[in-house]
Formats: sequence, C-alpha cells, structure tokens
Amino acid sequence: MTRIAAAARRHAPIFLVAAFAIVPLAGPASAQKAGGSITVGQELDIPGFDPLKVGVYDTSTFTAAAAIFDTLVTLDDKGEAAPKLAESWTHSDDYKTWTFKLRKGVTFHDGTPFNAQAFKDNFDRQKDPANKCRCAFYITNVKEVLAPDEYTVVYHLTDPSVNLPATITIQSQNNVVHSPTAWKTKGDDYNRNPVGTGPYILKSWTAGDRMVLEKNPNYWDKSRPYLDRIVLKPLPDAQSRFASLQSGEADIIWDDENDADNIMKAQKDSKLTVHTYKGSGAQVYAFNTKVAPFDDVRVRQALVMAIDRPKMSQAISNGLSRPASNPYGDGSWVKCKDDGALPYDVEKAKALIKDYGKPVEFRMLVTATPRGRMIGQVLQQFWKRVGANMEIEQVDQATIPSRAFTRQFQLTPWRIVDLADPDPQMYANFHTGSPLALAGFSDPELDRLLDHARVTADVGQRTEDYCAISRLINKEAIWFWTFQNTYYALSSAKLKGFPKIYNSVIDVSDAWLE
Amino acid sequence: MLNFIVRRLLAILPVLLAVSLLTFLIASLLPGDLAMVILGDQATPENVAALRHDMGLDQPLWWRYLSWLGHVLQGDLGRSFRTGQTVLQAVSERIPVSLELMLMAEFVGLLIGVPIAIACAARAGGAFDRFMTGSAFAMLSMPSFLVAILLIYLFAVELHWLPATGYVPFTEEPLANLRFFVLPALTLALAEWPGIMRVLRSDMIATLQEDYIALAKAKGLKPSRILFVHALKPSSLTLVTVTGINIGRLLGGTLIVESIFALPGIGRLLVGAIYTRDLVILQGVVLLVACGFVLVNFIVDMLYAVLDPRIRHGHA
Repeated sequence: MTRIAAAARRHAPIFLVAAFAIVPLAGPASAQKAGGSITVGQELDIPGFDPLKVGVYDTSTFTAAAAIFDTLVTLDDKGEAAPKLAESWTHSDDYKTWTFKLRKGVTFHDGTPFNAQAFKDNFDRQKDPANKCRCAFYITNVKEVLAPDEYTVVYHLTDPSVNLPATITIQSQNNVVHSPTAWKTKGDDYNRNPVGTGPYILKSWTAGDRMVLEKNPNYWDKSRPYLDRIVLKPLPDAQSRFASLQSGEADIIWDDENDADNIMKAQKDSKLTVHTYKGSGAQVYAFNTKVAPFDDVRVRQALVMAIDRPKMSQAISNGLSRPASNPYGDGSWVKCKDDGALPYDVEKAKALIKDYGKPVEFRMLVTATPRGRMIGQVLQQFWKRVGANMEIEQVDQATIPSRAFTRQFQLTPWRIVDLADPDPQMYANFHTGSPLALAGFSDPELDRLLDHARVTADVGQRTEDYCAISRLINKEAIWFWTFQNTYYALSSAKLKGFPKIYNSVIDVSDAWLE
Repeated sequence: MLNFIVRRLLAILPVLLAVSLLTFLIASLLPGDLAMVILGDQATPENVAALRHDMGLDQPLWWRYLSWLGHVLQGDLGRSFRTGQTVLQAVSERIPVSLELMLMAEFVGLLIGVPIAIACAARAGGAFDRFMTGSAFAMLSMPSFLVAILLIYLFAVELHWLPATGYVPFTEEPLANLRFFVLPALTLALAEWPGIMRVLRSDMIATLQEDYIALAKAKGLKPSRILFVHALKPSSLTLVTVTGINIGRLLGGTLIVESIFALPGIGRLLVGAIYTRDLVILQGVVLLVACGFVLVNFIVDMLYAVLDPRIRHGHA
C-alpha cells in the first residue's frame, strides 16, 4: 500500500504547473517487425479522456492518449519540433502569433475529417468559461485560436513564446485532438469512448482492468503502427507490477525511483531492459520570502547550504536520485558553465544562522505520503544540524496548490516538469506578479532576463539568460532544487522502438516486438 | 418467527441510519474542499464560491445530510465528477469481482481450516494440535500484503504456475478466471483459516466431552465416524456465524489484495476514489459496503435463529 500511496503523489497532476512537454517519434533505423500484441503495466486506473471531465491527464492516461490521439507537433529524436498533424509553421516577429499548416486527408476513427475547424472546436471547448474546465488553466497564455481556412490554424498568444511548437507536443489534455462529432453525439459517455486520429483505436475497456487498443488500418502514416494490439492494464502495486513483468504477463511497465530495488534488479537481468530518461526540470521547493524567517536571505542560504544531496538520495532512493543545482536538469538544452549553485557547507550555514541572530523556526508543507514524510524528515535532520528547527506539516496532495496560491505557507514543495522549453515554467514561477511566483520575490533584473529570454530566438543568447537567471535565484536562495527529474520504464528485452520517456510518458505507439 | 424478523429489522433501522450519518460525515469532514478539488489549480475564489453554491456546499451540514439521504433513499447515490459514472454503475461493474474473491477466499479458508480443526480436536493437546495452534497465531500476525508478495514470487515468478496479476470475467473464460483468482483467494484464505480453525476446534473439543459421545465410544463406533457424523454437525453452529461474518468483513477487507493482484473489484474502486478524492464514489461505496455488512449480519442472525430455536425466543 505504501508504494501506491507514494505513487499517488506523482500522479497528482496538480504539480504539473505547466503541463507541456515533448512527444517522441524516434523510430529506430533497424527493421521494425509488424504484428503482435503487448501488455503495458500502468500505475493507475485511467479515469477517462474528456478534458471537461478529467481536467488534467495523469501518467497512465498519457500512454493511452499517445496511441489514440495525435498532436499538431511532435519532437524528433534531437528534441526539436517536427511535423505531425501540422506539416509546417511560421511565427510573427514578436512571437505572439503562430500559424500552422495542417496535414490533408486525415480522418478521425469515426470518419470525421480532421481540419482546422475541428482543431479550433477542441480549443474553444476547453477555453469556454461556461465549461469550467480545469484544463483551461494551462492555455491561459493563448488568447484565441483561429481557423482562417480549412487547413490553417492560427494561435494568438497573450505573451511572446519563441518555442511554442515544442511546448504543445505532449499528449496532454490540451494538445491531443478529439473528434468533435464524437463528443457532441456521445455526451457524458464520450469520456470513456474517446475518438482521435491516432495509430490505435479503442476496442474495449473494462473498468479497473484492461483497455484494449487495436491498430488503426487507416492511419495517415501508412508505415505505422507496427503492433496489432496494445493492452493497457492498471497494476497499482509496484511489487506485483514488477513480478508481472518478470513472469511475462506484462511487456513493459511504468516505474520510478521509489522502486529503486526493482530497477536495480532489472539492470542485472538480461531478459529485461531498463529505459531511463534524464529529463529536464527538477524537484523544487519555494521559500515564502514575505514572512519571517525567510524574509532574510541569510536564513534561506543557510538552509540550502545545509542540504547534503548525495546522502539524501541514498536515503530516499538508494542513490538513484540525481542531485540538482539548477531548475533545468540534464535533459534540458540549457547547459550552464556556472549556475551559481551554493555549495554544501555546514560550517558556513551555521555561521549564517548565528549571524541572523534570532531563532530559526518554521513549518514546511509536505504531502501526507510515505515519500513526502521521508523527505521532510531528512531535511529536518540536515537543518537541525545547523541550528534551524523545522516542523513538518503534512497535508493532503490537493491542499498544497491551494495553500501555495494563497501564500499560506513558509516552505512548500513544488515541481518543474520535463519541458521542451524552460520559458513557460520559469516565467510563471519567477516573474513579478505571476500567480505562480510563490516566493513573492521581485527583482527587476530577474524580470528583464525572463522577458528577454522569451523573445530571443538565438539559443546561445537564451542559454546565457537562463544561466543568469539560475545564478540570481541560487544567490538569493528564493527557491532550491533537490533532485533532477528521471523517468523509468522496465521492459522485456524483446520490446524495441521504445523512445525517450519525455515527461514520464510511456509512449508505445511506435514500439514493435523482436 | 415473523415476529422475530420484524423485531430484528426494526433494530437494524437505527444502525443503517447511523451508518449513513457516519459515512456522510467521513466524506464531509475530510480536509479540503470538494469544489476546490473539482476546479483544481485554476480555481479563483469566485469560481469556488459559485460551484459550492451549485453543489449546496454552502448549506448547513444537517441540511446537506438530509438532502443527500433523500437522494440515497430514492436510489441516487450520486455521480463521479471525474468519470461521469454513477456510483451504482461503478459498483455494479466491480461487485462481481469482489463477490467472487470473497466466496473463493471463504471456501479455501474452510477447506484449510475445517480439516485441521477436526484433526486438532481429535487429539487436543497433542503435538499436531499444539503445532497447528501455534501456526494459526503465526498466520494471523502475517500482514496480507507480505503473504501476497511471497505467493507471487513463489508461484508466478519462480514456478510460473499461476499469473501474478490480471483478471478475465468468468463468463468469457471460466478456467482462466479461476486461475487468476487462486493466489488472491489463497492470500485472503491464509488469514481466514486460523479463525475458522480455532472456533471449530474449541467447539468440537466441547462437543467431544458430551455424554452422547462417550456413549458412542462405548458402543465401539469408529473414531472417524464419531468425529465426522456425531461431533461435527453440532459443533458447527458458531462456525456458521463466523463464516457469515467473515464474508461481510471480507467485503471491506479486499482493498490491499485487490490492489496487489490488480483485480478490478470494490476495494480497488475505493482506493482509487481516495487517491483522486472522488468523494461521491467514496461516500457511495462506503455506504454500500457498510449496508452489505449489516445485511449479512442480519442473515446470519436469521440462520442462527433457524438453527437454534432458543435464540428467536430470546432465551439464549
């Protein structure tokens, strides 16, 4: 049960503050074999696909959505935007208008033609205030989507976005394209009867048990897909999920660092393959700089310098977690020579606290899960050593965002998810006035860098900006980062063509069996 | 007898009412606001207030309870805000799985527990009796998730005899269906047999000391005949009760086992509802399970009264 509880934390879509990411379309060059069937062991039951009902997709839903639906854009194996339902795109000089030319001759599984109007209907349905969709939160940066002709879609943005195509590639509630005919005719039932343009068609779905997807014979990409059938099964318990892989009932399973022992076991098993993706983003924490003691930079710096990340990694994941010194991570294109990370230095931390002169006592929010508790306790020990007393406040998963948004916290966990571009999350998390700028920290230089990075096309220049942003945040210690995002899947060695696990999406829509 | 049934039914009513009140309170007093859960991160205070009003969350607790109870009495347990399914739909999809698991678990538990109890009672205080009584204690203290994992490793991963996880409806493939249920049922049965064994064992030991058993022995009847024909039946009264109550208890106790073996039953539905904070489903399932438990107890009471007339006349 503890595994499931810990898993629930990851599942909460609430942490996907800006759920954009990257779709893999990396077909291997070697000979793909057609035919066969695979079973995917997932962590959670899929609640459904209608954004109006489920609000935000979770990791299990992503996997199914990647097979049933298509997105406008995907990413090539280098992580750059590549055509999918859109064949090409252009942008205005200020990056506030993006025009996509759509692929012709694509139809949904129910025969409805895919065109600009169908895309616009999808967007408008989510954006309509009357529908009160949680999914609308993630497209607030899009003012409107227009369909000037049958195969042209125009995005008008409220703010510039130099990398929009890459950020709309994940198979999320906002990006996958549903058949308007299907949701109009099926009403409440559409949620469990999704219709897309994707490589697989939903054949059957037994609640809580299995979802059977069959090859779409009319898929627009004639060479794909390879497998005849994909069976998705929720196997909530991590131990029995792994046992199902070992005994052959599942061909690929979702996994994560909480399950370090099994990942290590799989690494030694020649019949299994461990797929690891070092994504961008990190597990992060925000100080509320508007309240004592975090209104003083010395206290914040001291706490950051007191954290021994390798030891923490050992304690929570057998050493699998990779320490983070900036919010971008190894998977990001932002590579900094100097990210300004504060060193681990207990003596310096003690001195800073002493210099502060008052007792350092505060409460930290953690999720009421075994993992949340453990992280809280480890940090508590580190901070105790340097003379700071932290009290753990365990709260329900859903409580954290509401407490964070209303600034009812001193220190809160947060997350920067794997994204094709740092802009959406960095801008939201650190720009003055953003509802997500949890630290309540305002700095003209930081704002200038964030503004500059989002309208600059030159990658070198943008890298400079983001590294400068990291240096500034690290120096002021308004947020801190513990570990980089790493994603895992374990599969039978016979399963081939499995791409990078961008943003924890187990995308088997291009896989094949040897 | 009719009089007895009516009296018992009247006694159940306040219990059911209390159950409904507690169920309602559990869901209502959980921290967090249902409106906030539904609206999520984008919730503005105005949105939340509007939704709270729509859902009647701004009304006093007693009013909400009565209105909810009114709907429940008309068979409307509400609709999940995540999947759009009604509680009754969701439960009716899942209940066959849980019922099958419960019945198989109880059956296997009896299959293990009854013979051991008889053997222990036949030589009470002997080496076998002492060993099995000790083992029963050991089994009782083994948590079911541990038993489940051990069984999976032995029978699925090492021996490849049985599947570790999965499910097929009985109507589709009866044999495969039974195969999927063996390990989960065994996991639950391993926690059930000690209770069954201990109840039957002590009842049988008492029965074996009755005069008519001594008479049967004096007549020179075979020991096995004495055990199975003369002693077993009169010793089974408590066992019937325990079996009945076990079935009711198992209905709520399959949460862990269903999650580990990935069986799509009521337990899984409940766990899922907790994690996704689907309070409507949570409330509905807890209420139905609690009512099921009360109902099973009522049936057991009836059976008891049939088996022993003294009970229905209020003498025992």
